[in-house]
Amino acid sequence: MTPHGAGRVAVITGAASGIGRACARLMAQAGWRTAGIDVNACGTDLSLQADVADRAAATAAVDQAAERFGRIDLLVTAAGYYEEGIDVADITVEQWDRMLAVILGGTANCCAAALPHMLRRGHGTIVAISSELALAGSATDLHYVAAKGAVLGLVKSLAMELAETAIRVNAVAPGPTDTPLLAPDSLWRKPDYLATLPLGRLVRPDEIADAVYYLATEGSMYCGEVLSPNAGAVI
Amino acid sequence: MTEQAAAGTGGRQRPVALVTGAARGLGHATARRLAADGFAVAVNDIADDGRLAGLAGQIGGIAVPADIADPAAGPAIVGTVARHLGPVQVLVANAAAMAMAPFLESEPDQWWRQIDVNLSGHFRVIQAVIPGMRAQRHGRIIIIASGWGVIGHPNATAYAASKAGLIALAKGLGRELGPQGILTNAIAPSFIDTEQLRVDATDAGITLDEMRRRYRELIPIRKLASPDDIAGAVAFLAGPRSTAVIGQVLQPNGGVTRTRA
Repeated sequence: MTPHGAGRVAVITGAASGIGRACARLMAQAGWRTAGIDVNACGTDLSLQADVADRAAATAAVDQAAERFGRIDLLVTAAGYYEEGIDVADITVEQWDRMLAVILGGTANCCAAALPHMLRRGHGTIVAISSELALAGSATDLHYVAAKGAVLGLVKSLAMELAETAIRVNAVAPGPTDTPLLAPDSLWRKPDYLATLPLGRLVRPDEIADAVYYLATEGSMYCGEVLSPNAGAVI
Repeated sequence: MTEQAAAGTGGRQRPVALVTGAARGLGHATARRLAADGFAVAVNDIADDGRLAGLAGQIGGIAVPADIADPAAGPAIVGTVARHLGPVQVLVANAAAMAMAPFLESEPDQWWRQIDVNLSGHFRVIQAVIPGMRAQRHGRIIIIASGWGVIGHPNATAYAASKAGLIALAKGLGRELGPQGILTNAIAPSFIDTEQLRVDATDAGITLDEMRRRYRELIPIRKLASPDDIAGAVAFLAGPRSTAVIGQVLQPNGGVTRTRA
């Protein structure tokens, strides 16, 4: 691994499992210092337990990371959860509110918290984890898809707002990925579904981390773009 | 500077990349980057004016000059590469012809030249590399499209049509060849700080600096891409970090394709 990361600092939400954890591991392997924010403990250099849906808690966690390491070069917003197979009519107000609060609110909260630190040093990269379902839509789980789609709107607008600074904001929209968020009996794990994908398999969390790594290290010309490592689920 | 895409091949032969349109600009930077990443690189351009051979020598590759619009060129290029370096594992479809003109003043010859090189030429080069990729059950086809192929551009209808065609080609090939282990993707750059800028400046009757300034104003991040920026996108798609990326259009263009005229 090349020493791209020497001295650089990555703050990763949802770093205790799945895609967030894979991102934290890869950045650490590349020599970055890592701070993980999650409701569960993270195996990062600094583990901060906080609910990103809570603005004050998210801000406190991000500030703590900045204080410990002196800088934030990369923010990856991967915190989220999935509720599969719920028909639109059956989504409760509580389910809707919580999903929007964690995925959209959590992304906004952490961006707002990290930006002052990035602006102060005049550079930084934000990568928000969205979903290929935000590009393609889904017949169920409308609250999840709406939240992930809203993240894309946030990313594109924030990217434009910051365009003339050296802070880049982009999204990674994973295809169906082999993480604990997909239950063992998930529709997305069924052979019939996988056979429809050009690659015929689920995406691995490390393949999502690879895309994040690329945007973090060589992504200075991307402004509000959506990179989708999705095994061909959405072309 | 970069990870070794060829790492994991141990002491064996370097994987082979072919870059069309490599004598200058983006293709030149891409060839150098892929060589630095561990590929044996074959470089193509329309004429061997010394620059192509010079580049090949510099990066330890070979020069395969030809006009890819010639129907015989694709198979000939790929055959030569196979004999000297081995089967092509990574194709960078970069060569392009461009002529600016108002649509009604466009000559049919100019229209067809751009389609013949940009779209049909690469159709034949791609056809020629697929059997070797299939045999290895591994291949990467990286198509250099254009932001203008995404959003169009006045006085560049033929060029934009050819590049939009390449985007559709990348998506179709992504679907068709993905199950065989061949990943096809496109890159849609916009304004790049290459020698073409000097041509554009001369055409517009202004200085190079003024040309750069005018282009920067069209780019939300107010920065022209360097050839190395785009070569970095190619290296990502050619390397070990893009194994789930298929049929996508990368747009390292500073946000140009989302601006409104």
